[in-house]
Amino acid sequence: MSDQEKRAVDRAEISKMLEKKAPEMKRILNYCVHCSICAESCFLYMSHDGDPQYMPSYKVINSLGKLYKKNGNVDHEFLEGIKGMVWNNCVLCHRCYCPIGIDIPRMIDFTRSICRSQDVFPKLDEGESWL
Amino acid sequence: MDIYGLVSGPLVWVALVVFGLGLIYQARQFLADTKIQEVVRPPASVLGKVELPKTLSLADISNSFFGVHPVMAVVTTIFHVFLIMLPIFLLGHNVLLEESTGFSLFVFPEMVADVLTLLVILGGVFFLLRRVLVRRVRAITSLYDFIILAIVVAPFITGYMATQQWLDYDTILILHILAGELMLMAIPFTKLKHGLLLFLYRYLMNYEHCLGSGTRVWSYNQAK
Repeated sequence: MSDQEKRAVDRAEISKMLEKKAPEMKRILNYCVHCSICAESCFLYMSHDGDPQYMPSYKVINSLGKLYKKNGNVDHEFLEGIKGMVWNNCVLCHRCYCPIGIDIPRMIDFTRSICRSQDVFPKLDEGESWL
Repeated sequence: MDIYGLVSGPLVWVALVVFGLGLIYQARQFLADTKIQEVVRPPASVLGKVELPKTLSLADISNSFFGVHPVMAVVTTIFHVFLIMLPIFLLGHNVLLEESTGFSLFVFPEMVADVLTLLVILGGVFFLLRRVLVRRVRAITSLYDFIILAIVVAPFITGYMATQQWLDYDTILILHILAGELMLMAIPFTKLKHGLLLFLYRYLMNYEHCLGSGTRVWSYNQAK
């Protein structure tokens, strides 16, 4: 087990970050109508034969959505689990289209910030692939 | 006061007040959680030289929502338009409105209203089947989505049943009124609030797909 895997998660810091952006993020998460219309606007979704894992709303609901549901009480494994979702499955190209006006890339970006605050991010210099 | 008197009298006003104040609350919260920020735009001397296409090309349409999801686009448009218009311009509702306030609005002929009601119900069935059968929709669907769909479609199903006098008329009518009141009260406090907020988000917020001025950004000053 590497040092990074052993590292304890600073839940207070995650909760503080979540709280700071709660007016926007919590509201938007509760506002998404789960219509899946954002799917086709994501080139990664299109290039992976319509795999729902690449759908913009799926990525947000299963990363930031779960972080809010758990109120930041997550472990390192959880953050490692969503790392691929917010880095490998999204390039933050800002092309995802939501008919009711959700700014999806901002939410992915915020989830990345939370992961990064806990030292969870693709270690490119250690040979880890981003894409 | 009997049950019918209660649900068609005081409860209607309660539902309307909750609906109205709820929407005002949501709009106020939106304004409180966002702030106006000056957007940096290219100077007029540059903008003046940009020629925007004046007509829609075939590519514009095929890349739009109507091009990518033609069936969904048509169904959702019909569903949403008549979901709002039908209750307002329905003969039965306007008779009650005239009785209580002395004025009424334009009304759909009964035959047209029946057809439109069926279209809304079929739209609901379409969304239900989509949630169950389409893989990507199923992947993000929760029980809450089914409950919201039921809340929206229930007044139309019970309304149609009452019009056709299926089952016990009095019971169905009371259920119809209760379903309508439940839907009205649910709008500001559930995902249904997108009916109001989509205009605020899409026209006022500064982001990639903004349709309007886009002068507002999120404010994080409320963080405790």
